Amino acid sequence: MEQSGHLAIKNLTKVYERGQVVALKDLSFSVKKGEFLVVIGLSGSGKSTLLRCINRLIEPTSGSVSLDGVDVTSLPSSRMRRMRRGMGMVFQHFNLISRSTVLTNVLTGRLGYTPVWKSMAGWFSKADHELAMKSLERVGLEEKAYVRADELSGGQQQRVGIARALMQQPSLLLVDEPVSALDPATSNSIMQYFEEINQSDDITVLTSLHFLSLARRYGTRIIALKGGELVFDGLPSDIDDSRFKEIYGEEAEEVEVR
Amino acid sequence: MDQRLDGSTLLGNLLHTRARTALKNRAFSFLLDWMIWGYVAYAVMFFLNHYWYTWIPGHWYDTLTLPSWGWPLTIIATLELTVICRNFGRSLGMRAFGLDLYPTSGERISFVRRLLRIAVWQLSVPVACVGFWSNPAVPLHDRAAGTVLRSTREVDREETDANDALGIARVRKPEKRALTTQWGIMSLFLLGLTFWLGWTIIEANLSVLTRRADKAGDLFQKIARPDFRYFFKEDPIFVLRRGSFAILDLMVLTLLMTLLSTVLGTAVAFPLSFLGARNIMSFHPVGLVIYTVVRGFFNIVRAIETLLWATIFAVWVGWGSPFAGVLALTVHTIAALGKLFSEQVEGIDKGPSEAIRAAGGNFFQVIRYAVIPQVVPAFWAFTLYRWDINVRMSTVIALVGAGGVGTLLFYYKNEGQWSIVGSVVVSIVVVVWLMDYLSGWLRERIVR
Repeated sequence: MEQSGHLAIKNLTKVYERGQVVALKDLSFSVKKGEFLVVIGLSGSGKSTLLRCINRLIEPTSGSVSLDGVDVTSLPSSRMRRMRRGMGMVFQHFNLISRSTVLTNVLTGRLGYTPVWKSMAGWFSKADHELAMKSLERVGLEEKAYVRADELSGGQQQRVGIARALMQQPSLLLVDEPVSALDPATSNSIMQYFEEINQSDDITVLTSLHFLSLARRYGTRIIALKGGELVFDGLPSDIDDSRFKEIYGEEAEEVEVR
Repeated sequence: MDQRLDGSTLLGNLLHTRARTALKNRAFSFLLDWMIWGYVAYAVMFFLNHYWYTWIPGHWYDTLTLPSWGWPLTIIATLELTVICRNFGRSLGMRAFGLDLYPTSGERISFVRRLLRIAVWQLSVPVACVGFWSNPAVPLHDRAAGTVLRSTREVDREETDANDALGIARVRKPEKRALTTQWGIMSLFLLGLTFWLGWTIIEANLSVLTRRADKAGDLFQKIARPDFRYFFKEDPIFVLRRGSFAILDLMVLTLLMTLLSTVLGTAVAFPLSFLGARNIMSFHPVGLVIYTVVRGFFNIVRAIETLLWATIFAVWVGWGSPFAGVLALTVHTIAALGKLFSEQVEGIDKGPSEAIRAAGGNFFQVIRYAVIPQVVPAFWAFTLYRWDINVRMSTVIALVGAGGVGTLLFYYKNEGQWSIVGSVVVSIVVVVWLMDYLSGWLRERIVR
């Protein structure tokens, strides 16, 4: 195979059937192992669609996605589910089961590894429980394990989301606007968790972000989408004022988040 | 060159289809208006007949009927009324099909032009109907009056586009208040007319209420003096298959019926409700077929009232058997709860299911971990509410032979033993009240 990277995306196109909206237009790029890749762009530029096309929560219309040389887009659904175990995902609105405990939420990250009949009864192995506690410790929430998820603050909920993604022991982390529902101070601490995971576990992180300042600070590489097309691919330091206007439009002004 | 030709052909086709839809909408809106006037004519005829009998002294054994020229006259009169109402203001039919009359020249259509349009219509439409059905061109009466009947939405879109092209922000005029428009007044008139018609047809009579109040009072007094001995005394006359019962025994039996049917009904409705939820089943065409079948089942079974199911099961398993009641309540509970449950499942936040899928979870794991936790509180609330309904229903299904405490009630009602009826009523009231309280309390405790 001639894929150079860990994750390779080729000619990826997504057209939503209703209204014929083109969300992604012939997108190609590849990601190396261990990169911290930030996707920026305006709302509706296709960032979320891109992330979801990679683990096929959304079916791409055409093109291919391959992870470690395996073509993800052509996998049948049962093998796709196995594939998804290797791709953790963290969401903008956390997507926790709000009425369940934090521990149950974290354990659901293990569902891809658990036999269906066991998971129906709510049984997870002892190893899974230990791993769950370890993941919670990592995000500093071990004492909240038996608290209901909706009793946590936004930042804490996102940390549970991270712990859940870690349970999959992924090689790739797909992160969809992890901080846009959080305040600036919490945003930075959440981003630091991703940085730590990226560096110490060598997990590739692919995240979409609204704020360029965060992207500059944490990303090792940035790609920018505009109307579903790739308009920039390079180092954070390459984005100057004119590039910025190109991505965000003439009237945009950069907002700092510290 | 080729492309332009293609483009214009396409545009031509588009305009043609549009004209056809326009003509269709026009015809249907006209038919609706005509039907409305036909209904008004019917109502006039009905009231003429009705008050002919009640107000004119003497005996009238004959109904008023139309003379031989009456039918053509009615048809022509309603037709003319329709045409007039469609030329002055916006008629109900025009509103229903989203049409309105616009001037092609000038700011507004003058009174004289409207009269002209009515006059030319008399000729142009009959001629068009005879010869030019498929011709979508602007009809003669519109051409003569300089008007056009068009879809309001289309006109609105065009105006917005035109303004956009000029770069002008368009401020939409607020819609007129319904009661200042022809269609609004007409709707109100039709509502009033129908109410009046209904009032007359069902022979509503308020004076009867006061005239015969003493009889009802008499009965009420008897019921209000319940004979409490029957609570514990085994009934000497009333014998079920398994022996004789006191009211209290029957009350316990009735409560057992409701418990059984609610539990059974919920147990069946719970799994079915996921099959009846569109968002769960839309993963595959076969899933959508199952969804349609399950929803259809819910709707049909629910439309048949518990009392009718009880009739069927009383015939099936035996008159007066409580088992018939249990079956009837169960069947209706399945359908009613199934529908409520499915709607609840359809309203869930899809975020958690997304997360479970992203972690590699399959269909069943998504339901177990993402769907069920979200719907459980509402399911409990609905189930307890249904239990409430079943308790109330179980006291009356005996009317059609489905067992329970109602058997006693209807038996002694027919016998005219009002004091026993009174004691049954008292026990029903007490039990329903208690159950209402209990289910409310449980709902509060469980649902959080």
